[in-house]
Amino acid sequence: MTRRVVVGVDGSSAATAALRWAAGEAVATGAQLVVVHAVGLLEHAGLATAPAQEAREDVVRRVVEEAGLDATRLDWRVVDGEPCAALLRQAGGADLVVVGTRGAGAHSGTLLGSTSLALAEHAVVPLVIVPSSPD
Amino acid sequence: MPLIVAGPVGQDAHDGGPHPERPARVNAVMDGIGDLRLGTDLVQVAPVRPTGEQLRRVHTPVYLDELELFAHHGGGSLDPDTFVTDDSWETAMQAAGAGLAALDALAERGDGSAFVVARPPGHHAERERGMGFCLVNSIAVSAAELVARGNRVLVLDWDVHHGNGTQSIFWDDPDVLYVSTHQWPLYPGTGRPDETGGADAPGSTVNVPLPPGATGDVVRAALDEVAAPVVSAFAPDWVLVSCGFDAHRADPLAELALSSADFGALAEVAVGLAPASGRVVLFLEGGYDLPAVRRSAAATVAGLLGDPYRSEEPTMGGPGLDVVRAAGVLRERSLGVTR
Ligand SMILES: [Zn+2]
Repeated sequence: MTRRVVVGVDGSSAATAALRWAAGEAVATGAQLVVVHAVGLLEHAGLATAPAQEAREDVVRRVVEEAGLDATRLDWRVVDGEPCAALLRQAGGADLVVVGTRGAGAHSGTLLGSTSLALAEHAVVPLVIVPSSPD
Repeated sequence: MPLIVAGPVGQDAHDGGPHPERPARVNAVMDGIGDLRLGTDLVQVAPVRPTGEQLRRVHTPVYLDELELFAHHGGGSLDPDTFVTDDSWETAMQAAGAGLAALDALAERGDGSAFVVARPPGHHAERERGMGFCLVNSIAVSAAELVARGNRVLVLDWDVHHGNGTQSIFWDDPDVLYVSTHQWPLYPGTGRPDETGGADAPGSTVNVPLPPGATGDVVRAALDEVAAPVVSAFAPDWVLVSCGFDAHRADPLAELALSSADFGALAEVAVGLAPASGRVVLFLEGGYDLPAVRRSAAATVAGLLGDPYRSEEPTMGGPGLDVVRAAGVLRERSLGVTR
């Protein structure tokens, strides 16, 4: 069976770093790359804040192409939901889940709003948390 | 029959600027209640201060400490949806405390119903995380307080979004029955019919997801056909309602198609599920179209009190009756019920 790597994107630079790492992993292992964008309350209503507006298919395709992944191995999914719940749902049967250190909005130096920490607690498949590259 | 209003809380605080979860929502609810001209039947009570013990039944000490500190340092955002301002902690405490004041007022009077007119809303807030506009899970604080006093509690959640926080907080608690109708798919992504409660409380969660366009008759069917038999077997002492008005057809955040009159009918259902007068408390959750919130609040309170009031016609004929029935089957199958 083909391996599946699931990665969450929200338009933040941390998520882009995670996407880049996940695409590289998919290239190296011959895996299918499932890219999940969870649509929040405001984005659903067309009131998205700036980072969420960057979580678009064309942005994802460009990053994945740069990493050398064949476009046919990319599976782009937009689902209504809180990021942690959405990723857990899409991660069923996956080999690996990949996220950035901090989602859009969440603050450094606090545990508040951390999707990656919540995922670490609930994940049932291996989880990789990718640190952002220094700006 | 008296209406106890606990609050209002948050009509001039926890202001995130251009954000749909805004102070004017509380004024819209109060205006809707005012439209009923209840006179001396309207009794207002002020919030009490929740104790640390009451808060820690539903949130972790680490989360509570972090949230308080974060607010006191000026706040920021928890996620792309959820803001915290310097007065958010204080407002959230008053919102949770308004629920507790409503319980005390009803227990003392022994009749009537109560409406906790407070924000920020709470039903998305989990034990260790605020999200989805919610910081402290006020309805959970009140439900846990009632359980601590030896009661069995029904939490009925007709907000258009699934109350992931309330569900997860009481997932393994056999003394709290959580029933939710919500649009699906939609934020927060939880609330499938096969989510039926944890190992220590199998069957204590009832989820009925509804398709966009679902009308009032479909929500009623979900409550009558799927929830009511479970509720009557559970035999609650109290009925707490996560009363969002965002399932209204005018709401900008979702696509269900209810009218204000439908909320009145839902309030009548809530009263019918309670064992006696004086045991129903509504908690304001979502609802973002101010005129719709005002009309819906009036219709809901009229439904609670059994008063005639109608500003819109009830809605019917939308999609979802088949989904409701399938949800009932899926739920039973996941609980191992065969028929
Ligand atoms: Zn809602």
